[in-house]
Amino acid sequence: MSLVDLATTRKPWIVRHRLLLLGVLAAVLFPFVIAIVVDGAPISAVWENADGNAKFLQGLAIEVVVLALYAMSYDLVLGVSGLLSFGHAMFFAVGAYSLGILLKSAGLGLVPSLLIVMGIAVLVALLFAVVLPRVKGIGFALVTLGLASVTGIIISSSEFKDYTGADVGLQGVPSPDWLNPTDQRFRFYLVSMGVLVLVYLLYQRLVDSPTGKVLVAVRDNEDRALMLGYSTFWYKTFALIVASMTAALAGSLHTLYQPIVTPEVAGLGFTVAALLMILIGGVGTVSGAIVGAAVFRLTEFYLDRWFEGLSNLLIGAGYILLVLFLPYGIVGTWRTRSNRIGEGRSRLARLLSGSKGE
Amino acid sequence: MSLLSLEAVNTHIGQYHILQGVDLEVGAGEIVAMLGRNGAGKTTTLKTIMGLHPRTGGTVTFDGEEIGELRPYEVASLGIGYVPENRAIFADLSVEENLRIAERERGDLARSIDFIHDLFPDLARLAELPGTSLSGGQQQMLAVARALVPENRLLLIDEPSEGLAPVIIEQMMEAIRSISSDTTVLLVEQNFVVASRLAQQYVILEEGRSVAGGAMADLVDDDETINRYLGAG
Repeated sequence: MSLVDLATTRKPWIVRHRLLLLGVLAAVLFPFVIAIVVDGAPISAVWENADGNAKFLQGLAIEVVVLALYAMSYDLVLGVSGLLSFGHAMFFAVGAYSLGILLKSAGLGLVPSLLIVMGIAVLVALLFAVVLPRVKGIGFALVTLGLASVTGIIISSSEFKDYTGADVGLQGVPSPDWLNPTDQRFRFYLVSMGVLVLVYLLYQRLVDSPTGKVLVAVRDNEDRALMLGYSTFWYKTFALIVASMTAALAGSLHTLYQPIVTPEVAGLGFTVAALLMILIGGVGTVSGAIVGAAVFRLTEFYLDRWFEGLSNLLIGAGYILLVLFLPYGIVGTWRTRSNRIGEGRSRLARLLSGSKGE
Repeated sequence: MSLLSLEAVNTHIGQYHILQGVDLEVGAGEIVAMLGRNGAGKTTTLKTIMGLHPRTGGTVTFDGEEIGELRPYEVASLGIGYVPENRAIFADLSVEENLRIAERERGDLARSIDFIHDLFPDLARLAELPGTSLSGGQQQMLAVARALVPENRLLLIDEPSEGLAPVIIEQMMEAIRSISSDTTVLLVEQNFVVASRLAQQYVILEEGRSVAGGAMADLVDDDETINRYLGAG
């Protein structure tokens, strides 16, 4: 088999995505199982959106989806393309606030508002791209941190109180009746899951594409990519635009779901949250962002519930253990191990077939 | 006429004046060896040609066109391939992806893959392995192979024999010879034996200046020049 043939013989789609398909199935069944097993309610409780654990846990899952989209976008910037941005929260905050303001103050519908938000997201990404050729590494981190801080200051300033709610936060954003997070919780849950699956598939596609390989090459060694004839600036700009649009989409879901959006979503703390999520899941793995977001939100929630004041200490200790024992994150470590198993298998096959081994 | 010519090229890196007057000519179809001690400016000269450390004085002409102001990716797209020293492959990409990423046009790899496999049969077997799992020699082969994927008119090869076992060096030399039948090569090489067996022309750099040059056949017998600029040779 020649090198070129190897690239075209891939496993069928359904096999490659079996984990994803199982996940989707589990996600759809999840509320029903909770309703029956935990709440002891009829399954109709799910689509009637009756109060109970099923409804509550769907809410928690929606929060996980929002964080997963946000973490995935950060993984594209940091994990795949190697751009150290400390201002990633700005992408999320701009999305969250723009959508809120467009729905509430401008009185636009959801679809036109979302389209405008995507346009704004592109502009924000271009703002980051402007500084790309001028500063690298830690310099880029500081400039992006500065940009995000400015956003935070604008959002919290009393001059724009009528629009942003200043430091109190943005409240009273009207959500469309068909997607009301309380009355139509199950529908909101399915829509957000659908968005996550779509974005995930797009990201997988992107990372596997020639463009994705160039982004990895830029992360490995930008000079080499330049000398192969790639204008790396445009590739990095492209990654920033995709990430900004994704994070803005996450922010939009956040605004639709949460009764109040606070300026903290523009802060350094929220960028660090994205970093933690992809560290947990595995930097540069894309699917790790989803795992990381789930672990992040659920441990935060349950540790807080069970240990209250101690929870932050426990979370901190957990992160230290994670970095020590799972340096590639959950998905990253799992992949490395399964690769080794795969290598072993093919070596065995070579030995058995009598061909020359490594 | 020369394919590549440098005239009085000066290059600063930060506040350091690294190249202080490099002249060199590479004729089409030749293999030219750039020699000199460590720190003489050989690698910097290659990077200056590629636009990675843009020249601050003098002219760099490729095929009659001044390229000193071009960005690295523009220089590359003119058909100049660069094989950096130290096994410069992409560690997180597989062997196959390392080659595919060098495509300048769709189909480049399909066109060149047989030639590459003839030169380096190992690479066919290793196609799916990540770059990091290759041995030093295999990484060097991959780095050279990558420069052969697009149709390059000039290859700049930096220290292809560095740190390689003698048998691999032989293979590498054979590969460079095959390449040179239709590609011009500018080679940086510390190993004088390797350089003298491959190149027809040479240029010697000393402290950022070109100090000697000519036909390799003349240099081989010129013990004085060898001792003066290349140490014991």
